[in-house]
Amino acid sequence: MEYVSPFDERRRAAEPLAPRRPTLEGASVALLDINKRRGDEFLDRIQELLHSRGASTFRITKEIFSKPAAPEIIRRIANRGDLAVEGLAD
Amino acid sequence: MTNATLPEFSLPSVAGAPVRLTDGPALLLFVSEECPTCTLTLRRLAPIVPSLSATGLRVAAIFEDPLEVAARVARRTDFPGEVLSESSPYDVSRAYSLVSLPTAVLIDGGGRETGRVVGWDAPGLEALLSVSVTSEPPLRKPGCAAKNTYDVETLRALDGAGLDELEEMFELGWTDGLPVIPPTAERVRAMLGGHDRDELLGEMAPSLARVTLARVAACAVLAGCRPEYFPVVVAAVQAVLEPSFNIGGQAVTTQPCGQVVVVNGPVRETIGLNGSVGALGPGWRANLTIGRALRLVVSLTGGGFPGRLDRSTLGQPGKVGLCFAEDEEVSPWEPLHVSRGYEARQSVVTVFGADAPLSVSDHRSTSPLELARVLGDAAGATWSPNWWPLGGTSLFAICPEHARSFHEWGWDKERVRSEMFAATRRPAGSLRWGETTPLVGGAPDDQLVDKWDRPEDIVLVVAGGEAGRYSAVFGPCLGMDATVISKEVPWST
Repeated sequence: MEYVSPFDERRRAAEPLAPRRPTLEGASVALLDINKRRGDEFLDRIQELLHSRGASTFRITKEIFSKPAAPEIIRRIANRGDLAVEGLAD
Repeated sequence: MTNATLPEFSLPSVAGAPVRLTDGPALLLFVSEECPTCTLTLRRLAPIVPSLSATGLRVAAIFEDPLEVAARVARRTDFPGEVLSESSPYDVSRAYSLVSLPTAVLIDGGGRETGRVVGWDAPGLEALLSVSVTSEPPLRKPGCAAKNTYDVETLRALDGAGLDELEEMFELGWTDGLPVIPPTAERVRAMLGGHDRDELLGEMAPSLARVTLARVAACAVLAGCRPEYFPVVVAAVQAVLEPSFNIGGQAVTTQPCGQVVVVNGPVRETIGLNGSVGALGPGWRANLTIGRALRLVVSLTGGGFPGRLDRSTLGQPGKVGLCFAEDEEVSPWEPLHVSRGYEARQSVVTVFGADAPLSVSDHRSTSPLELARVLGDAAGATWSPNWWPLGGTSLFAICPEHARSFHEWGWDKERVRSEMFAATRRPAGSLRWGETTPLVGGAPDDQLVDKWDRPEDIVLVVAGGEAGRYSAVFGPCLGMDATVISKEVPWST
């Protein structure tokens, strides 16, 4: 029987992962706050731990947690960050 | 089988693309939902899977069950390994000469079987894997017959594969859990009614799928729509695709968020859409199937399927679908679509991201203010009782008797919502416990706090049977920055 699929059957090729860093020493880490309650507390602690391992950090905040990050935010992370940590919340 | 070269195979995976297990080292756990020993085995092995994986061993559960069943069991047992599904006639199980389930097969780096354990056998698994598994009884438990050992007639009777197109829809996963109408090319063509099957309505998150008319028509067929309902379904899909509706957020949230469809205008009569007795419940094909078709587009085409990317904690019946008409003929007020800028003669669909309806009984109020307060207080309990202001829209289905009372008391729709807005204020001090808002947290005890940001966030629609003073309010979906969207039905039937 021939059916019409409700799905978009296109398959996207998997994006290759960036090379893994052997150490955090000297890394620039983007801390992405999705703008949900208490996410900043989580990122504050992650920031402490990263600094103690020789990494530097910078914060970026999404406009709203329920929508994808704006291209500008992704671009800023890609330009400045060697790594990114996203803080979920609640 | 030990030391024999093992067959290559590829099986559908819960993670998405089919998985090939051609190279070891790997631990294959053949299981089935129907076998309690299999569930026990998955649950007991789950805690050690990460440490096994850390040694480079792939751990995969191969279910002799459909993919959605495999996903459910893996979730319930907290099984963190790969989850694959094998369907009738179970060629992979046959190739491995399985007799019973569960069976654990260990494969070395050269792709050769180095050992197997049949049934739940903790000491046997410890010996096979060289790790400590568990000391908790039972340490041994026999399993069930593997399905590949069934004779052909039994398999056919059990799964109906190739014999029953309704069952095939479940196998494909083209369903919301209820039986569907298979979207054959002929049925989809009839649903399209000559419209361009490749017309693109937009891309839908979370899967970023291209939503074409053909895919919407497939969902409408699956849902049980008649072709004359199709333009209403299309309008609803166009509405949820508006970026400001944020369907991507609504589709995946842990909230119990459904998409409620309210229909106004002549199309209600044309297709038999109910706005009268039982409008929010069962009984009317157009209501049930249009709401369901929209939800199938969201959950299948758009990828917001429950338990996968849709993480709604509890879900709610409205997520199966919820569509109703406003009873414009009974309403003493201007219809919703006219309030939203359309002409009465236009057929219009309006979609809301909303929780399940909360019924509000009031047979006793003797003034419009009393009734407005009762309705407002019910809305006050939605989302969370102390979450003021709501920061979202409340959709009310006002029953004809309540609407008539307001009308006879001389209140029009604007008056009802402005009075409801004003009557539903509460002092911040009474709201300062449990889940409350920053505004309440920072306000003096006696400061009055509104339930809504503005009266326009109260939307009143008249629906329901002529007798009975039961209205309903739909709680909002919050945190989505989502707006209410209306779309004109794009063509007449």
